[in-house]
Amino acid sequence: MLKEDLIKKNPLRVLSPADQGKSEAPKLGLVMSRAGLGKTAILVQIALDSMLRGNKVLHVSIGQSLEKTKIWYNDIFQDIARAGNLERAADIQEELMSQRMIMTFNEESFGVAKLRERLKDLIDQNIFQPDCLLVDGFDCSISPEKVLGQMRDLAKDMNINMWFSAVCHRGDDRVSKSGVPAPCHEADDLFDTIILLQPDAEKKCVALNIIKRDGKVGESRTNLTLDPSTLLILEK
Amino acid sequence: MQKDLSKVRNIGISAHIDSGKTTLTERILYYTDRIHAIHEVRGKDGVGAKMDSMELEKERGITIQSAATYCNWKDHSINIIDTPGHVDFTIEVERALRVLDGAVLILCSVGGVQSQSITVNRQMSRYKVPRVVFINKCDRTGANPERVTKQVRDKLGLNAVMLQMPIGLEGDLEGVIDLVKMKAIYFDGDNGEKIREEEIPAHLLDEATGKREEMLDAVSMFSDELMEAVLEGEPTEKMIKDAVRKGTLALELAPVFMGSAYKNKGVQCLLDAITMYMPNPMDIRNVALDLKNNEQEIVLSSKPEDPLVCLAFKLEDGRYGQLTYIRNYQGFLKKGDTIINSRTGKKVKIGRLVRMHADEMEEIEESGAGDIVALFGVDCASGDTFTSSDVSYSMSSMHVPNPVISLAIIPVDNKAQSNMSKALNRFTKEDPTFRTYVDHETNETIVSGMGELHLDVYIERMKREYGAEVKVGAPQVAYRETITQRAEFNYSHKKQTGGSGQFGRVAGYMEPLEEGEYEFVDNIVGGSIPREFIASCDKGFRKSLEKGALAEFPVSGVRCVINDGAAHAVDSSDIAFQLAAIGAFKEGYRKANPVLMEPIMKVAVEGPTEFQGSIMGSLNQRRGIIIGTLEEGEYTVVEAEVPLSEMFGYSTVLRSLTQGKAEFTMEFSDYKQVPRNVAENLIEELRKKKKEQGK
Repeated sequence: MLKEDLIKKNPLRVLSPADQGKSEAPKLGLVMSRAGLGKTAILVQIALDSMLRGNKVLHVSIGQSLEKTKIWYNDIFQDIARAGNLERAADIQEELMSQRMIMTFNEESFGVAKLRERLKDLIDQNIFQPDCLLVDGFDCSISPEKVLGQMRDLAKDMNINMWFSAVCHRGDDRVSKSGVPAPCHEADDLFDTIILLQPDAEKKCVALNIIKRDGKVGESRTNLTLDPSTLLILEK
Repeated sequence: MQKDLSKVRNIGISAHIDSGKTTLTERILYYTDRIHAIHEVRGKDGVGAKMDSMELEKERGITIQSAATYCNWKDHSINIIDTPGHVDFTIEVERALRVLDGAVLILCSVGGVQSQSITVNRQMSRYKVPRVVFINKCDRTGANPERVTKQVRDKLGLNAVMLQMPIGLEGDLEGVIDLVKMKAIYFDGDNGEKIREEEIPAHLLDEATGKREEMLDAVSMFSDELMEAVLEGEPTEKMIKDAVRKGTLALELAPVFMGSAYKNKGVQCLLDAITMYMPNPMDIRNVALDLKNNEQEIVLSSKPEDPLVCLAFKLEDGRYGQLTYIRNYQGFLKKGDTIINSRTGKKVKIGRLVRMHADEMEEIEESGAGDIVALFGVDCASGDTFTSSDVSYSMSSMHVPNPVISLAIIPVDNKAQSNMSKALNRFTKEDPTFRTYVDHETNETIVSGMGELHLDVYIERMKREYGAEVKVGAPQVAYRETITQRAEFNYSHKKQTGGSGQFGRVAGYMEPLEEGEYEFVDNIVGGSIPREFIASCDKGFRKSLEKGALAEFPVSGVRCVINDGAAHAVDSSDIAFQLAAIGAFKEGYRKANPVLMEPIMKVAVEGPTEFQGSIMGSLNQRRGIIIGTLEEGEYTVVEAEVPLSEMFGYSTVLRSLTQGKAEFTMEFSDYKQVPRNVAENLIEELRKKKKEQGK
């Protein structure tokens, strides 16, 4: 398979992608699930898809090491390349890695003001101009609306699409009207796209429940799943 | 000599520069009665630490060569190799790790896991070396062993488990709590030599109990017996120790100890840990290749009655003459024995057998499996295997990286010239990553190595130890050339100058080779090139690889395939086909879109967060690609890939950018294509230089 086919056939095409480049107003996406279902894998696949389409991606990882984040990218890319029988995979991977930058913070040192400062440094000095920013491991546990609102402002000011991951907990039943579980149930208006990962015991897989797509609620599609062994997104 | 192998430990000590390896080794030697006074690395007494025997090492306060020594601790024999911390000298670290059974990874309790520790850890993983962690400098301001333990888990990916916790920190460091015994341990006396074991202070008891539970949780994964005991009641000390040992040997657990070598705290506990948790030579599976049996793998036994197998892992040409450090893996070696160098097949008689103690030595009569000793006057190369005459085994070779930087050295006078030759001869024998050759065009002696500091140290040593004063040229990057597409060739070499002429035609194609430097494929059918000239074609291609047509740099990554040709009954010869192949290579190379490749270094800059922007800017200016950043409070690490050619003088720039508060390490990562505009300038410069030389 060629790179172009890989982009076309990517199951993520069913999403109205929130990282389409800079022609539109920046968009915010959210991936939610209980711990350990594959949020990081989805973010990495969104990032790789964006990079394949020529965009630059800044991956902000909170609480995870640089080395581990790099391994996520290597493993997922190799799985995608293998599954799609991608030609010149090694060259493409090398090319993609120059379009990616990883920033890791420990939980205590992360903040929106700091991120804004770092982004400004990158852009002003012409070091790295991201088109898409992913924030993995962001602590949404205590009323995240305010911080997410600040992030939305940041996305707007810098004209960058953003994706977040957030953990929801089994014991917490709070849910928004559109079906977004706590702790982001009061922040659903801030996002254009929201994906909820739900284990499907019958099919022995994890389903991607798209709660909101390009600002529209109620067009839930569940024909996307995660392969439990590779964590690649599949279309059924 | 220790006859009971289960009581022998071969241990390496490695870590980041300035984390206190040499100081720790000094304390170990003191407590084990190998030395009778302690001298600090940069001590005021001017003696310097025992293991830093080279004058230059003492002056710079860094360890350049790994010095070997041994000591006895509680009826165990411990062989220690002290290894350098700077990344430029990693061949020393790699050699040491190859022959060691276990290692102590020292981390600074303030600096924590730094990039060099990651490199060293990666090397330890490559050689499957079990390790214990010692968090040193707990007396320093900002010491936080818990944070460092977490870093060991996060950054090094090791299952780090604290077996101790500190009693006080920074200036208040008093001792440690042993979480296995649940006792407080204090180190009294002028040099901490008196160990006092007491009950845990009441104010620390709850914390210690909690930490012990955490430790038991992690350790019980390695023993069902311990797990049951933990669930049912109180596990015994032996059960815990056995489980820690099992996990450590399986490389699935890294027990963490702590203290301050400088303040004489915690070192004896580390020695206990080495004897308890580090493998003995019989715990490690060592293999050799049987050269008589198609290089089949043979597991070595460590038994003295089996045939002798030793590996020469280090050569040193010092004031006692040529010393060869060997690790004995199997069998028994006695003074007067005759052994065989399995690479050359030559017989070697053992005249003198010594055990090294930094720069002093002790004559010994025999050495058994598991020992690290040195031989005198044996001619061999680093990495050679010695066996008894009844077997022909070879230990697998060590990974030796290619040099990435070179510079020209010009002796100032005739005396310096002859001394320089002597020095180079010795250094190249000792260190396979340090190489030298004479550039026939400029007649200059070129030395090449793994980094600026690497070469710098050898030039300094040349001056000090051999009195060879040399002028040093600007450092040069080891560029390479390669091809990017397939191209055909069909070249006839004809020469008729009276008498018998020369004729050979070589046809085929060349294409990029993904892995490896060069491959020759013979697809000739029907004898269009006679059998006897096929090797000549290969030879011709190999000669062409020495200098590429683009900028005269060595060519690599090429597969040459020949599929047709022609010969003449009288005029064809070896040389005619070599020249035909050279012509064919030239013809194909031009069409194969050759490009320049340059060494790319993996650079990690560490410093205060406030300078992150300037650090990234400085790397970006140097054509660096920022891979990522890591921010932890006030401290940040920027990781980037930067061409080596752009890194010259970076330490000065970094110092002025960050008020001397940041430091960097770099190691070779890969060769990558030079961007077109840079390559054009480079080629133009080389042309000009050539022209000037021609004048």
